[in-house]
Amino acid sequence: MIFRQVVFYALLVGTLSGLVLTVAQVWQVVPIIHSAEVFEQQAAAVPAIESAGQLEAAHSHSADDDEWAPNKGFERTAFTLLSNVLTAIGFAVVVMVAMMASISLSHKENPGFKWQHGLVWGVAGYTIFWLAPAIGLPPEIPLAAAADLEARQIWWLFAVVSTAAGLAGLAYGKSPWRWAAPLLLIVPHLVGAPHAPGAMFAEQPPAAAAQLEQLAQQFIGATAIANLFFWLALGLAAAWSVRRIVASTRSEFKSGNTATPDYKLPSN
Amino acid sequence: MQNQSSTAASMASSGISTAIAKPVQLICAFLLGAAIIYAAGFVNTSAVHNAAHDMRHSQGFPCH
Repeated sequence: MIFRQVVFYALLVGTLSGLVLTVAQVWQVVPIIHSAEVFEQQAAAVPAIESAGQLEAAHSHSADDDEWAPNKGFERTAFTLLSNVLTAIGFAVVVMVAMMASISLSHKENPGFKWQHGLVWGVAGYTIFWLAPAIGLPPEIPLAAAADLEARQIWWLFAVVSTAAGLAGLAYGKSPWRWAAPLLLIVPHLVGAPHAPGAMFAEQPPAAAAQLEQLAQQFIGATAIANLFFWLALGLAAAWSVRRIVASTRSEFKSGNTATPDYKLPSN
Repeated sequence: MQNQSSTAASMASSGISTAIAKPVQLICAFLLGAAIIYAAGFVNTSAVHNAAHDMRHSQGFPCH
């Protein structure tokens, strides 16, 4: 069962790369979120100056939130680890499915999966799932003003799908379609991501806004590095897994242990 | 457990195919992966949002 193997290995790959990401985040990224939240608490203590429409768009948590949230410290880090691992498992499944499909699409007899392939796939994943959305919607710290959530989510998805299709077209497409693929990479940015009007921290007093701007810049750099490490780890581990899956299914098929030929890799 | 494995073994030896085509399996796996990403990164229920908050900010998912 290819399905079972992909899911099993994805659990492994996701746990490993999720751990890598959490370490990188706790070290570089989370401290910036916490610094921004200090301003958030200050802002909540002083009633904000109401400017019509803007307040709604401001990225803030209300102080009197009685919704459940993890406690600061260990619990919060644990939930960050959990959600990192969960997301990484999802990414790992998707990447490994794409790797398996690429074996079918590849024109070579035996494309193989070396660690170099893992790095290339890792960079591709980083470009698709982090870089492309981040060009339009840079990762934001709390308090940053932003457009409607749903519009941003739709644009995020659009950027991801379009970039994935563009890269796949470049790698596997046949001319003339291959030369149309770069268009797919640009289209989301021509359309443009939704943004809130005005300055990012217009709600804040000028001194705080200046500091927050600086934090926001640092945050983009920190997430760029943390996610690069994450995707390289994920790519390498996924390539290793796919190599093992292909090897095991191939030998099973050859030795005739299975009654079904569904393991056979198509050879073009 | 033993019953199950012996049933599976007898099915395999009698040549009954329980196989699902490879592309279908891969598509199913892909959908599962996409659902996991959606749950962790997109679901906007307050508890899910708060639990995954730092991850969403760090990985550049739209948040709030």
